[in-house]
Amino acid sequence: MTRAVRTPVATGVAATLLGAAAAVWCAVPVISKGWAGFALFVVIGCVIASAVRLAVAWIPLSDDTFLLPGPIRAWLTFLRVVRLPPWEEGAVIAALALEALHPARPWHTAVLGAVLTAYLLTVHLADSGAPASTLSPQVPVLAAGACLLALGAGAGMLPAIAPGPGSALLRVVAAIAVIVAAGLVLPHISTRRG
Amino acid sequence: MPGGNTDVAVRWRLSRHARRLLTLALAGIFIATVSRRPEFAGAAAPALLLLAAGRGSRPAEISVAARPSTRRAFEGETVTLTVAAAGAGAAAGVGAEYGVRWTLHPGRGVDPVGSPTADGAATTLAVTPERWGRRELGSLEVVLRDRWRLTEGHAWVNLPRLDCYPRPAQLDTEVVLTRLPNRLGEHAARTWGDGTEFSGVREYVPGDRQRSINWPASTRRGRLQVNMFAAERSQDVVLLADATSDVGEPGSSALDLALRGAAAAARVYLDKRDRVGVITYQWGGAGWLAPGLGKRQLYKIIDTMLASDAGWARGAAFRRLPRAALPPGALVIVFSPLLDQRFVEALRDMRERGFTIFVVDVLTVDPPARPRVVDRLARRVWRMEQQAIRFSLRELGIPLVHWDGVAPLDLPLAPYTRRPLVPAGHRR
Repeated sequence: MTRAVRTPVATGVAATLLGAAAAVWCAVPVISKGWAGFALFVVIGCVIASAVRLAVAWIPLSDDTFLLPGPIRAWLTFLRVVRLPPWEEGAVIAALALEALHPARPWHTAVLGAVLTAYLLTVHLADSGAPASTLSPQVPVLAAGACLLALGAGAGMLPAIAPGPGSALLRVVAAIAVIVAAGLVLPHISTRRG
Repeated sequence: MPGGNTDVAVRWRLSRHARRLLTLALAGIFIATVSRRPEFAGAAAPALLLLAAGRGSRPAEISVAARPSTRRAFEGETVTLTVAAAGAGAAAGVGAEYGVRWTLHPGRGVDPVGSPTADGAATTLAVTPERWGRRELGSLEVVLRDRWRLTEGHAWVNLPRLDCYPRPAQLDTEVVLTRLPNRLGEHAARTWGDGTEFSGVREYVPGDRQRSINWPASTRRGRLQVNMFAAERSQDVVLLADATSDVGEPGSSALDLALRGAAAAARVYLDKRDRVGVITYQWGGAGWLAPGLGKRQLYKIIDTMLASDAGWARGAAFRRLPRAALPPGALVIVFSPLLDQRFVEALRDMRERGFTIFVVDVLTVDPPARPRVVDRLARRVWRMEQQAIRFSLRELGIPLVHWDGVAPLDLPLAPYTRRPLVPAGHRR
């Protein structure tokens, strides 16, 4: 197997493993309240479908299938269907929803956020066939994101100033404000450096 | 697009990668707000920062050049398409700042050679036309991607048209008339002249050139003998392609064979410095090109065959064709499946007007065999009709050979290329 072939296969496997890790991480400890079971089912299904999509992404699709035999047409229809839905988005939403069904555990959620970000970046690498080194210009941004991730987890661990929903909401708004401010400032800094 | 640079508008949208990151960011912020847990906002932070930092200027327009290696190709010939994207101002970074991916969407009857996609600001793609005709090469999709692949710019470019010529059949020999017009050429005539082909010796008469004396013959006969040479003449050849019936598999149909055979004959006769013209006979009229000489005439002939449906000659018939289209004494080589009775009548008429006609039958298919008695009977009647048509032409003295399109055209023509063809109304 040449290196050119090995790289997308390796990133595809890595993406699947990260997706599986995210599913396991948000599922434990297993709970049965609300829609937890359904969310877990969606996470697992979307991660598996995403792995299948990455595995068959190299197969070309023919536009003209009218004269092809039935089994080949069915296979091409399957390929077309498996490529169409946004499996990764579904997995991300279901994983976050499943995590939200658990009792508050800020550091656990922060790790899940990091795993999901890594999952999406690896899926992107597997999709595009680009090597991991193409992410090196994004390392400062990802580092800033990790800092904000830790900040969000820390904000989640801070005790509320006063009892009641308003106080908790204030913490959330503060965290979002910090993230948005960073998002607005960062492009200007990176442009100046560039 | 005429093959030069074209400015095309670029439509930008989020890439699939960006949509995934956006989903993570929005879902994290939404859940954080609903559940009042700031750690979810933190989980959305990396994705949000990537989206924010990846913003950049995006050109609204780029300049694309797509040049095919040729505008004229034969069937099955590979045509290379050189494509390049460039820009000014915000688009100056095309290739460096933006990755470029080209996707070829070939037109009808055009196949891509190898992968239809290629990367790079300047690259090459290859296509091959399947069948003769005026073909649209298709369109080219240009996808620009920023360095973080968060946005994609899409642009479409229409490719120029390609004239695909029928692939000439294999033909190296030619049918030559016994009586040739008094015009310099490369065919050895039956009269004496200044050619290079030896035709005999005769007694020396004053005025003969000394260099033409045949000394061995003179020694044997005791008198001076001089060599005689055959005159070299050219002939007028008119190729008649019957486009009234196109039966058979696409790619090897009667019309395909007719055009390939006519193209091969045109090439061979023009190589021999004969004057070659063409008439295409079809429903409602005939298109024609007067006999001419030279390499360009070959392309003119094929162009006439491809564009036989256009021109002022629409509605014309053989009787109304100008004298230049059918010069007297011309050899008329017909490529036809002989399915149209009116065309057969036109051949009879031409024969009665004194033209020397040679027919190449290009019919290679029969009606489908069906088990019903009526169908079998109809098939038999059809075959008998076809035999009758061919018999009647032979009775008129028109040589008729069958060509299947697979074997070289030299094979069916062999009995007539070894000796000259006697013109109509003459006996040896």
